[in-house]
Amino acid sequence: MKLVKAELFKIRSTSTWWVLGLITLALWAATLLTNWAGSSINAGVDPADQGLSPDQAEQIRVANEAVNVASNLYTSGQFFGVLMVMLLAAIVVTNEFFHQTATTTFLVTPRRTSVVLAKLIASTLLGIGFWLVTSLLNLIFVPLILNALDVGPQLGEPAIWRAIGLNGLAYVLWAVLGVGAGVLIRSQVGATIALSTGYVLGYFGASILFFLLTPRIGEWFSKLQVLVPPLASQLMVAGTELPGNPPRWVGAAVLIGYAAVAGGLGTWLMRRRDIA
Amino acid sequence: MTAGSEEIVVSHLTKHYKTLRAVDDLSFTVHSGRVTGFLGPNGAGKTTTLRMLLGLVAPTAGSATFGGVRYADLEQPIRHVGAVLEASSAHKGRTGLNHLRMICTAAGLPWEAADEALARVGLTPAAKRKFKGYSLGMKQRLGIAAALLGDPRVLILDEPANGLDPEGIRWMRDLLKTLAAEGRTVLVSSHLLGEMQQLADDVVIIAAGRLIRQGPVDEVLGSMAGTAHVRVRTPQVAELTAALSEHRATVTPLPDGALLVTGLDPAAVGHAAFANSVELHELTGERADLEQVFLQLTAGKAGIR
Ligand SMILES: Nc1ncnc2c1ncn2[C@@H]1O[C@H](COP(=O)(O)OP(=O)(O)O)[C@@H](O)[C@H]1O
Ligand SMILES: [Mg+2]
Repeated sequence: MKLVKAELFKIRSTSTWWVLGLITLALWAATLLTNWAGSSINAGVDPADQGLSPDQAEQIRVANEAVNVASNLYTSGQFFGVLMVMLLAAIVVTNEFFHQTATTTFLVTPRRTSVVLAKLIASTLLGIGFWLVTSLLNLIFVPLILNALDVGPQLGEPAIWRAIGLNGLAYVLWAVLGVGAGVLIRSQVGATIALSTGYVLGYFGASILFFLLTPRIGEWFSKLQVLVPPLASQLMVAGTELPGNPPRWVGAAVLIGYAAVAGGLGTWLMRRRDIA
Repeated sequence: MTAGSEEIVVSHLTKHYKTLRAVDDLSFTVHSGRVTGFLGPNGAGKTTTLRMLLGLVAPTAGSATFGGVRYADLEQPIRHVGAVLEASSAHKGRTGLNHLRMICTAAGLPWEAADEALARVGLTPAAKRKFKGYSLGMKQRLGIAAALLGDPRVLILDEPANGLDPEGIRWMRDLLKTLAAEGRTVLVSSHLLGEMQQLADDVVIIAAGRLIRQGPVDEVLGSMAGTAHVRVRTPQVAELTAALSEHRATVTPLPDGALLVTGLDPAAVGHAAFANSVELHELTGERADLEQVFLQLTAGKAGIR
């Protein structure tokens, strides 16, 4: 417990966390505006449809869409938020090598597994913090947007709360991934660059790759998309249960798998490694 | 801790890096309550040995213990052993005080210990400044403050004088003397030997990862007695040289006009001069110094590895 406190103090006593926090806020605002714009277009189409054929079935479809639109809006900022949390978590580890504080840390606590565990817990708490702040902001601003779109706040829908909850799980899992990645890529700059480009390019690159290759290789290939971490996390949180898509829990399982491997490998490496 | 329990025993310690034997079957003992100089040329394996001692580097073979216990198995290690390894091991964006508080938190020590340690090394005025603005001397002081947080009985320092200006070196020496006078065991490594002679009670000399000599400073110097010599100055060079040659001493003229006499102690030189009515203007006994002993002992074994 005192080790977790120490790790949190380490984060708190330097400026990285609030710099990345501010970036997260800026990106959150940008994402929210983008999502709003996207939703306005969708919403703009729907009333026209509704006006053409105002029957019962169509209304249910629209209601369903409203929930989807809302859950997308309520989890705004996730894409970059988890990236920032992962970077912070990686830096929690790489800092120790970059500033050569690993020596001090392991002199104070020679039991290295405890140190890695403390880093995992501290990073997880940090992830939860980022999730709480963005979710709170979303809960404040999204109802305004939804009102502007003429759909209610949708807060009575369990699907919304499930999306928000799974969003939190994503923040936690990416924090764990970040710690593991930090141990693997000890270099501060290297880890930051590799993780951000890997995350962003992994997301778009993989989407494009699967889009291009699936028609040639076969439908089964597109199911492998879920193995790409950013896509898995997207599926887990926002995954609409479309016929072609694997169920959400697959996304969650994949991400938990990666987090477990990263955390375990990180701990194992840290125990063996010479601190010089 | 009971008396003697802080003895450091290094036993057959070995570390291989690929084909390089950085530390090679090294065994020595550091006695409690004494200052031990850990000497060796650059690349001798001092840092590697100290890091193995502290559980940071895994030995290929052998062991190192504090009072019979490995560092990693000590309860609250920093209350037993304080270590200063490199001057720059703090986060550049963190204040000195916060660096120490971080250690206190992790070790379960009260934050007041951080203030006390800062005061002890004279860093209180810079407590709230970030580490990146510290001079090398201040960084070194912060490192020592960190080592003192747990009020340990054993202190281990790796080349603490490195990069310090003469004033900083004197400060360091005085502090280490004070700490030793408080009864702490001090193990301090160096490749610069001038300081050690005034500071250390014992020396452990290594080269190329192997033990060369271990023992009290006087004994190690004494074992090299052949190198002791006497400086004399006289207007009657020829007479004195003849007189001393009868005693089978070697006399070498020095560029500054003095004579260097090897093979006799100052009293014998003085007596020979007196007996032959030779006038002396200077008579100085020069003991072999650690520097020379060290160079002789490690000659040919150092090399760049
Ligand atoms: N991590 C490492 N990998 C490979 N060689 C190393 C490593 N650390 C030290 N060495 C080598 O081991 C030898 C001993 O180094 P070191 O213990 O730092 O010596 P000293 O502190 O006495 O100057 C040197 O030749 C050094 O190059
Ligand atoms: Mg060294």
